[in-house]
Amino acid sequence: MKKIVVVLLCLLVAKAALAQKDSLSFDEHNKYIYYKVVEQPGLTADTFQNRALYFLKINYPKNKIDQAGAPATITGTGKFLVLTGLSVAKHVAGEINYTFTIGYKDQKYRYWLTGFVYSPYKTDRYGNSVPEQGVEIPLESGLSKLEKSELNSCLEQSGTYSIKFGNKLKEYMVRVSATKPTEAKKKVISTKDW
Amino acid sequence: MKKKFLLLLLAASTYSFASKAQDTIKTTGDAPLVLYGSVDTYYKDDFSGHSNIGTSFASDNNSVSIGMVDLGLKKTVGNASFVGELSFGPRGQEQSIPNSGYYHIQNLYVSYAFSPKFSATAGYMSTFIGYEVISPTGNFNYSTSYLFTAGPFQNAGLKFTYAFSDKVSLMAGIFNDDWNAYTSSHDVSTFGAQLTVTPVKNWTAYLNVASGPSSGTIFDLTTAYQISSAFKLGLNGADFTPAHGGGGYAGVALYPQYAVSKAVTLGLRGEYFDEKAVTGGTSANVTEATLTANIKSGPLTFIPEVRLNTFGKLDYSSFTNSNGAPTKSASQFVLAAVYAF
Repeated sequence: MKKIVVVLLCLLVAKAALAQKDSLSFDEHNKYIYYKVVEQPGLTADTFQNRALYFLKINYPKNKIDQAGAPATITGTGKFLVLTGLSVAKHVAGEINYTFTIGYKDQKYRYWLTGFVYSPYKTDRYGNSVPEQGVEIPLESGLSKLEKSELNSCLEQSGTYSIKFGNKLKEYMVRVSATKPTEAKKKVISTKDW
Repeated sequence: MKKKFLLLLLAASTYSFASKAQDTIKTTGDAPLVLYGSVDTYYKDDFSGHSNIGTSFASDNNSVSIGMVDLGLKKTVGNASFVGELSFGPRGQEQSIPNSGYYHIQNLYVSYAFSPKFSATAGYMSTFIGYEVISPTGNFNYSTSYLFTAGPFQNAGLKFTYAFSDKVSLMAGIFNDDWNAYTSSHDVSTFGAQLTVTPVKNWTAYLNVASGPSSGTIFDLTTAYQISSAFKLGLNGADFTPAHGGGGYAGVALYPQYAVSKAVTLGLRGEYFDEKAVTGGTSANVTEATLTANIKSGPLTFIPEVRLNTFGKLDYSSFTNSNGAPTKSASQFVLAAVYAF
């Protein structure tokens, strides 16, 4: 019985990994989107705002943030690298730029990542991986510019990234304090007095 | 039997999970050791029946020949990084300089980023001059231009790069007295600089200069503009004056390219190259037009191309026709395959 439970658990985990590509849906503008609404009773909109900003500052310091848009909303842009190959042959295939939105009101918040645009990389004359100039491919129209396997990899890695983004945001949203827990003071042993 | 089946299922599930977990995205921290490079091979047919066009590489006529295997390793830890890239095979050895007989170093340098805007690099590096490079993955056309063959391939030295903004950066450095040499002949006396300007999105221009008492002086403009998602226009112009004895060269090459589908891009290289007269001599010029297609299938690129070269005068033409008689023009067909990893 125990073995059956373990097997089922393994299958569930494997299925979750495979489902990362499918975690993206289409929005009303026919763009890929990763969208979640999270109920968090007992917390106010202000608290969500502070914690979301702290989450972005700590985890995504390079993301550009814009708070001048719709009220009770933080929007911004970010990017992540797309990898290809295995083991030592693994290298950067490109980068995906995206936009994110975190909205909040009392008791709940929502967030979404969308506008995924892939920029392939090339190896320059010095051996560096750099973006190919002027090549920007929205994932929605990826099939017209990319091989199917390339597009699938981009979608899968966008899904993985979005899930990680959401999980990390959730961690920060449920924290009692939006400050980093201080490390326990190191115990110092004096060898002078004995 | 049931137990074995369950264990098999468990193994399969775990393997599936492990395979997917390798795709975890790393956005921060140190990059792993990366292996990269290429392999290339080609067939050339000069329409005269013998080799005529003497630019670098693709030299063997009526032969399935090899280019090189290019192997690079690179790694970044914190602000420090290195690149080591060696090639083996005719393109990377006897057809490139310097030729050790066993290998050819494409890049071998260490780099340190003092800040996101300011970095220093020391070692043996691909030259900052010109549009084309030795590695076939860095070029659209398989055969190379006269400007490439005449110009530097690599420079050894110490250079500093500062980015003033996203649109302007400057590289300045001091390099060994001779181009394409692992060690200097006498000293480290060539000054080199590159001003990089991005006037508008998708247009980058590099204004380059290298000057030294031994290596001479070269001014170079290299620029590329991705005008639309399908159309790209590149330009290279250079003027070289040797340190002693007169001569040198000047030339310009234009590189329009158009993507007709996601797998096929067509490109033309039109070039005018002028060998300046040495004291008491005459100058010579040659024009060339190369029509090339890049047909991509994953990491493999097939490169068919037709090239036509014409000297300005028969007097100084080095071409001969199928009968061996001097002629102003020569043409060739090349089919190459380049695998990049």
